[in-house]
Amino acid sequence: MNAAPLELIQGPPAVDRRDRLDRTERVARVIGEPAGSATGARVRVIDGALSCIARQGVAKITLDDVARAARCSRATVYRLFPGGKDAVLGAVVDTEVSRFFSALAVRMGAATNLEDVLVAGMTEAATRVTEHPALGYLRACEPELVLSQLAFARMDEVLSLTCAFTTPFLGRWLDQAEARRVAEWAARIVVSYLACPAEGVDLTDARQVRRLVRMFVLPGVRALRVPPRDARGAPTAGGPGRGAERSLQSNRARLTTKGEAS
Amino acid sequence: MDDGPRQRILEATYACVARWGLSKTTVEDAAREAGLSRATVYRYFPGGRDELIDAVVSWQYVLFFVRLYEEVHGATSLEEVLDRGLAFARRSLQEHEVLQKMLETEPEVLMPKLTIESNRTVGLIAGFLVPYLHEHGMADGVEIHEAADFLARMILSYIASPGHWDLGDPEQVATLVRTELLAGVVAEPGPAAP
Repeated sequence: MNAAPLELIQGPPAVDRRDRLDRTERVARVIGEPAGSATGARVRVIDGALSCIARQGVAKITLDDVARAARCSRATVYRLFPGGKDAVLGAVVDTEVSRFFSALAVRMGAATNLEDVLVAGMTEAATRVTEHPALGYLRACEPELVLSQLAFARMDEVLSLTCAFTTPFLGRWLDQAEARRVAEWAARIVVSYLACPAEGVDLTDARQVRRLVRMFVLPGVRALRVPPRDARGAPTAGGPGRGAERSLQSNRARLTTKGEAS
Repeated sequence: MDDGPRQRILEATYACVARWGLSKTTVEDAAREAGLSRATVYRYFPGGRDELIDAVVSWQYVLFFVRLYEEVHGATSLEEVLDRGLAFARRSLQEHEVLQKMLETEPEVLMPKLTIESNRTVGLIAGFLVPYLHEHGMADGVEIHEAADFLARMILSYIASPGHWDLGDPEQVATLVRTELLAGVVAEPGPAAP
């Protein structure tokens, strides 16, 4: 699937923080960048930097290392990234985030029902993170760089970014608000099992992800669709009110893997 | 070894961290603040500064969960534990001035330590929830320890980064608990407390 990047951004973020909007916009711009000679040179530098990071981390790399890996001169790197190392690293993050969400888009775009779209997105995300060479080095040798992004306010930004790029794919089966909620929830689950692995749970294995999605996520999606008033007010013995019951049943129909219009 | 001085050193170190941050606090600072000699601090924390800072983070971390435990242990149902626990935990984190300052100024020092603690905490929260899950009854085909582990990691995720959820709003907490937390886990999530 080729990106129509700005259309991927839907819905206002939960908290109005300009830096996060910038990241979302920057990433969208990278996804939409037309391939040209200037872009090609930038991408070579970025990929050179990535291979350096995969070997020696972020703290120790120099622009000379990057230039050597990109097979260009230090002056060329500076001309493309006047801000130096920080500018290169910033571009690396934006590019890798955009590649990540583009890969997710390809997988999620091919799914034909809600269960599959969740399994595809979560499995692809876990696999990309687990197998990313530069990220692998950082997780092992400079964990503070990675971990400081994955909790508290910065994690809220990760969640918001994920929502911006994955909500539209869930929107084929859920309304906008539900899709946002579920996108954020799925992102939480993936981050949690990656940052703090559970024995015997491997989210790069699609079968295991499917099991988790069926067991914990889809029932929650169904419950979310019931208007909160009915869900909270109704006694458990009687079940939700009639309206909610109807909506629950139609949800079940929409959520089942079979009978999905292709 | 008498535990009094150890606690006094921890409290003194915490005061220094609150004032100057994690990375700028030294053993000398802690000793001066505690009114003890440097040698005494080393006797209790032979690993020096690193051990001292780790001990302070662990102590505050445990303290947080002790308070959380006190808040929820009188609850009579799983739903009540989660409703009360999520709201209390989120409020406590937001109001924890030292934590907020560390997150603002030196997350790269603090986060690896919190992550190590959180691996342990998933087990602790899960263990605490098992009897409540047992009492409540599980959804068909859901294994109790697996569900407890899932709940524990979700709880940590929501209290640290609520995303679009407002955990200060009891109605939103009740919805969260009965959907993303419990819908797939227990047989029939009960209604919110009046």
